[in-house]
Amino acid sequence: MTSAPVVEPVTAPVPIHVRRRISWARVALAIALPLVLIGIWQVCCWIFAPREWILPSPAVVAQAGWEVRDRLWYHAQWTTVVTAIGFALAVIVGSLLAALIARSRIAGLMLYPWIIVSQTIPLVALAPLLVLWMPEFGAMITLAALISIFPVIVAGVDGLRATDPELLRAVRALGASPRWVWLHVRIPAALPRWFTGLRLAAVFSVTGAVVGELVASARGLGALTRLSAGQFETPVTFAAVVILALIGIAMFLLVAIAEWAALPYLRRATRPGTR
Amino acid sequence: MPHEGDMGTTIRVDGVRLTLGDDPPLPVLGGVDMVARANAVTAIVGPSGCGKSTLLDVIAGITPVQEGSVTFDADARVALMPQRDALMPWRTLRDNVALAAEVRGVRRTEARALADHEITRVGLAGFGDHYPHALSGGMRQRGALARTLLAQSGVWLLDEPFGALDALTRAEMHRVLRAVRAHTPTTLVLVTHDIAEAVALADVVLVASPAPMRITDAITVADHGADAGACVLDALRAAGVHA
Repeated sequence: MTSAPVVEPVTAPVPIHVRRRISWARVALAIALPLVLIGIWQVCCWIFAPREWILPSPAVVAQAGWEVRDRLWYHAQWTTVVTAIGFALAVIVGSLLAALIARSRIAGLMLYPWIIVSQTIPLVALAPLLVLWMPEFGAMITLAALISIFPVIVAGVDGLRATDPELLRAVRALGASPRWVWLHVRIPAALPRWFTGLRLAAVFSVTGAVVGELVASARGLGALTRLSAGQFETPVTFAAVVILALIGIAMFLLVAIAEWAALPYLRRATRPGTR
Repeated sequence: MPHEGDMGTTIRVDGVRLTLGDDPPLPVLGGVDMVARANAVTAIVGPSGCGKSTLLDVIAGITPVQEGSVTFDADARVALMPQRDALMPWRTLRDNVALAAEVRGVRRTEARALADHEITRVGLAGFGDHYPHALSGGMRQRGALARTLLAQSGVWLLDEPFGALDALTRAEMHRVLRAVRAHTPTTLVLVTHDIAEAVALADVVLVASPAPMRITDAITVADHGADAGACVLDALRAAGVHA
């Protein structure tokens, strides 16, 4: 097939693949605040010398964390597994529910209000009940999933309902089937919002796992904070909290990386002087 | 070339009435009668919100006819070009154009090859890998035009396609559209509120009343020469539009 332009071609210089390198200045800015706060904390501990079981200094926390590293590692593995499975469950079930609610008006009317109402139940209060009903591991996963499913559903439903009507008009006029429209228009259009929900869910899932462990488990970093605080091993409690924060950050970053890989069109080219 | 033999079809719209919503019901089309001749450009000019876009949706088959009829003299595919280019931000220009073939079941690799052909025709060779956000408004409209071409449809429905462009780019797109149509005869229905655009592009200008919309006048541009614009303006005033 020969192709020739029927009109004069466009020759505008448009940036295409702009590879953005990791900027160390940005990384430094991001970690500056916690470093400053830790510094202030350490200085305050030197000046006021509070008792170690009330407020240990960062240096003491680091030392205690190193000494009990085997214990921390054991509990951290448990929490990470619970968090990851709970999050995966929330993403799968939450996305299916979001599709059902967006797809069917009846399902939307029946389910959506109750899913929102369910968020008014303090899920912490459910933890002892869940442990009564199912094995400990299952209860912890269920709790992590229950706490993180809400943003997945809300973001999914909003994304699927917010498809640009002009896009739908254009493809329907071309004769696209409802199935094609769902697969190639509605779902891709919903992905940016869906990922926003996933980022929230990733952080919530850590909270869910810890809440379960705090209330009703002998394993996991949540249990470790409860047990160590009860025995005035405050430096260990702090070390466990630091590891929990790191797990939360790792979950968030994993989702952000997945989003970056899945939605290349959102990696906008930036020109110098613009943001 | 796949398009040279394609021919448009005459579209007849008879007594089409349409009411949208039920609380309260909003009569949008109040008995529209019109003819869009095969391979001619028919412009519909009317005030904003009078129901022009809804009429295009009825002709395209997106909105079902409630009363009256829409008939095509021959089988023809329909392509609709909305005001905003309606390119999908997550698809590259090539994949956006290719979807016109994909909806018909053409394989993706083949659809992409067809898309490249049309992208070259509208003067965008080399831009196939760009996402829409990296293209200018005029380039995106050229992309939408390439997609319309690949749809290989005998009927093009253009819903204020150049309304969001600046005057220079709009003039450029008028030239592009004329050039493309010189190679690909189709029946073209153009909805616009710009009288100058209607007169510049159309063979016949239909004048629409405010909602519920009816066609109150048909002005053949060639019959009026330089006065066509003034005739359309007079007809709009007679239809109750305060232009």
